[in-house]
Amino acid sequence: MNPEERELMAGLRALASDGPRQASVELETRLIAEFRQQSRLRRTRAWISAASGGAIAAAIAILVWIGPVVSNPGAAPPDQAVLADEAVADFYPLPDADALPPVESAMVVRVQLPMASLESIGFPIDTDRAADPVEADVLLGQDGLARGVRLVE
Amino acid sequence: MLESPSHSDDDLLRLISKGNEAAFVEFYRKHQTSVYRFALHMSGKTEIAEEVTQDVFMTVMSVAKQYDAQRGSAAAYLHGIARNFVLRCLERERPYVTILDDAENQRSDALADAQDVLSELARNERIESLRRAVLALPPAYREVVVLCDLNEMDYAEAAAALGCAIGTIRSRLHRARALLMEKMRAAERCTV
Repeated sequence: MNPEERELMAGLRALASDGPRQASVELETRLIAEFRQQSRLRRTRAWISAASGGAIAAAIAILVWIGPVVSNPGAAPPDQAVLADEAVADFYPLPDADALPPVESAMVVRVQLPMASLESIGFPIDTDRAADPVEADVLLGQDGLARGVRLVE
Repeated sequence: MLESPSHSDDDLLRLISKGNEAAFVEFYRKHQTSVYRFALHMSGKTEIAEEVTQDVFMTVMSVAKQYDAQRGSAAAYLHGIARNFVLRCLERERPYVTILDDAENQRSDALADAQDVLSELARNERIESLRRAVLALPPAYREVVVLCDLNEMDYAEAAAALGCAIGTIRSRLHRARALLMEKMRAAERCTV
């Protein structure tokens, strides 16, 4: 290493130790606050998805259990079909619902969903509130499969 | 808080991805200085250094679980993220930085004309002159000088941070130092 290079390296060492050494304390405080908020959001999201999954599973179980009573085949099937059609009309159809058999008897279950899940079926949502829970009615057909969704508010 | 005071970066990032605040604080305190200094030396501005440090650790919060220790150290991983943010900031502020550099040069020339050479001032002036020379390097050369000479990162880590071969780091560093010496010689000629 020649003298000029040595001088450069000494200058670089001096420069390395010059000036502020670290970010402000305020930045650390801000980042910790942000981390807490993100952790809370993550926990809320996990809870909502578990809660809505549980609610739908419970609704299906109830439907299977009382299904024969609700869809009593002896009680004027044509009228019931009309009622079911009217009920279906109030709901926003789910993407794959067209491929399912027509609704003969329906059941409505109220659930809480993350707002983000409504985006996939075409509801416009405010992205800042994507993780917020929203109440919705889910229309289940006689087979226990969801056909449509209706926002409560 | 975490029971053990020092965890590996791997463990800390895993805990961060699970929402462990103490792990995040430990990881931040361990690495913020080098990220901040890297951004400061690359940009020459404390505001950018602060902004980049914030962006880097915000990124860590959301992608901690994607960290793969096989692909490099956490320091290299952080500097890789910091580098992208710094380059974005420099791109955004390019016209402003150029104007500021010109103003700094003029002010520095005026000072050199007006003042006698006191040793402390001369030392400061040399550091300032070198700082300007580093900031005037093209980004590809500047980043290797900042990582290897100013942040004392070894070649392998610098290569992992910049996503290039160790040989590339060596050759860029060699060229960058040559450019710096040229600039310093030119600066000395101006002040004589």
